[in-house]
Amino acid sequence: MELVNIFIKSAFIENMVLTYFLGMCSYLAVSKTVKTAFGLGLAVIFVLGITMPINWLINNYLLAEGGILGQDLTFLRLILFIAVIASMVQLVEMVIEKLSPSLYNSLGIFLPLITVNCAILGGNLFMVTREYNFTESVAFGLGGGFGWFLAIIAIAAIREKIRYSNVPAPLRGLGMAFIITGLMGIAFLSLLGIDPAAF
Amino acid sequence: MHSKRYIYTFVLVMTAVVALVLALMATGLADIHERNAAIYNKKAILSAVDNYLEQPSSVLSDEQVMEIFDQQVEQVVVDAGGDPVEGRLAEDVDLAKEKDKPEAERHYPIYILNSPKGKVYIFSVRGNGLWDAIWGSIAIEDDFSTIAGVAFDHAGETPGLGAEIKDNPSFPAQFVGKEIYEGDGDYVSIKVRKGGAKDPVHEVDAISGATVTCDGVSEMMYRGLKNYEPYIDRVKK
Amino acid sequence: MAETTQLEKPAIKKREPLFGPKERKLLTDPLNDNNPITVQVLGICSALAVTTLVWPSFIMAIAVVFVCAFSSLFTSLLRKSIPKQVRMIVQLVIIATLVTIVEMTLRAVDYAVSRQLAVFIGLIITNCIVMGRLEAFAMANKPWRSFLDGVGNGLGYGGILLAVAVVRELFGKGSLFAGSPIEWKIIGPSADYMLNTTTISWLGWYQNNNLMVLSCAAMFIIGVFIWIHRSWNPKLVDVS
Repeated sequence: MELVNIFIKSAFIENMVLTYFLGMCSYLAVSKTVKTAFGLGLAVIFVLGITMPINWLINNYLLAEGGILGQDLTFLRLILFIAVIASMVQLVEMVIEKLSPSLYNSLGIFLPLITVNCAILGGNLFMVTREYNFTESVAFGLGGGFGWFLAIIAIAAIREKIRYSNVPAPLRGLGMAFIITGLMGIAFLSLLGIDPAAF
Repeated sequence: MHSKRYIYTFVLVMTAVVALVLALMATGLADIHERNAAIYNKKAILSAVDNYLEQPSSVLSDEQVMEIFDQQVEQVVVDAGGDPVEGRLAEDVDLAKEKDKPEAERHYPIYILNSPKGKVYIFSVRGNGLWDAIWGSIAIEDDFSTIAGVAFDHAGETPGLGAEIKDNPSFPAQFVGKEIYEGDGDYVSIKVRKGGAKDPVHEVDAISGATVTCDGVSEMMYRGLKNYEPYIDRVKK
Repeated sequence: MAETTQLEKPAIKKREPLFGPKERKLLTDPLNDNNPITVQVLGICSALAVTTLVWPSFIMAIAVVFVCAFSSLFTSLLRKSIPKQVRMIVQLVIIATLVTIVEMTLRAVDYAVSRQLAVFIGLIITNCIVMGRLEAFAMANKPWRSFLDGVGNGLGYGGILLAVAVVRELFGKGSLFAGSPIEWKIIGPSADYMLNTTTISWLGWYQNNNLMVLSCAAMFIIGVFIWIHRSWNPKLVDVS
């Protein structure tokens, strides 16, 4: 139940994009059509789901004071986390290429972008400050990724339609995308009333 | 194009340099970090007893905070039975970690402030808000019933709603003067009531739109202070 | 910064001035025509969640300028010796090291603000503007110029950050620089504020706007900033 709670919370109520602005760059750059947004969204779920448990192990068994090295090495956290993310992205890229070339072709170009997607590092750092345990951090990773996926699909669909609207010229494109995101954020706020204990 | 060997050497040298620089810096600043963290926590505790200080805790300098703690604050740790634990300072007890122990083995911190304006006992409580942990310091006068002041903090409540327990000074201010005991000995704690306090002695008004957080505060007050009941009973005698 | 200037002086002075029109352009371009946020759309990610108050945004802006400038400088110094295959990782390591240094310094200097900014300082690493400038500029240019380019982009970014924070804090909380030594209370319902809404009768209707405290407000404000910026500088209008 606790896990469902964390999943729901990270996917809907504390949505990475709409409440923390994480992963905004690729969110805005790759949301012109639903098809590409779908690919990137899937890749983000995947990478968040994988890096979260790995970084949890690193943080708790390698860097923490009670870990196997017996030293407080938390000052290396940022560097190790980003290195794990970069190498995981590379690894995922190679595995997907071997196993399913068709998926690789549809995801291919977006995978390297994910390294610098703040949603990934942000999720990993939140995991540390919120002191999740191992299973909780997996649920948080998947939930956060799913929330990101939902947000990018939604804005891509809206942007596809809004192209036919008569938006003031200086607001067209980027400006409008920001305002839509803000409105979506307000819509997501209405989920605040949900009592996670009901699940 | 660089050779494989060059790449490996480059990466190794770079890793070594970076690790060295950061390690030096981390060890060099460790003491300052620890001191800052301690002062931050002490200031948070003192903010519950603003009425008893010469200046409000928010304007105290780091040195003044340390001085008040050195000269006026006595730190006591008690076990679940209310008996003092020797050799442990209150500031070393982390309620978040105590929570993971079996109930009978838990320790609770108490800060006793002997200020010129009176003697107050500051108890630490911890509970759950809507999203994450909430915690607070509850200061009680030496009749062991009247609240002298409270201060709350939270890990991730909604800004403008649940976060108001910390951000809006009028919320903690309501607690001052309320009583946690009914008459001569029934423990009732303080309740945060949605729609406005009905009982002037044991209830305060909730924050509109933040029902779950406020219920969390009620629960935290009830359970948190109950942990200190054995101690209170012992000292009263 | 003064140190760097002196170090670079003899090498560059032979050929061109240390701070000529080209260098000035490097600094001012990102403030308007090539603003990292409103034009390049980079680096929106991490920092906007901190703009509810001006003071943390100010600290954040300084941190970004520092990281941007020095990561550009170091990358540019190393640009000929960084192996192509591990380029990205090396850049990330440089950035991550600088960010860790900033984080540790902040924790030593102003602990309360570092608690407030929490993970967002760490997120400067994935701030695309830093990485973007390393790839686009520092890998191909001399150290002094890369440094200026980094400062310029950091400032362009920090400027927007502060502007958003000023609007949000002023209308959301009625104060500016709350939580800092120079806190400035402007409008609110008590005698502490410059404009006391309980005594000035024609201001009695005034209420803080709670929307400004919510994160969505930052989106609207940036959207409107982009609108204003593009109306005023029409060559930036999105034609697609």
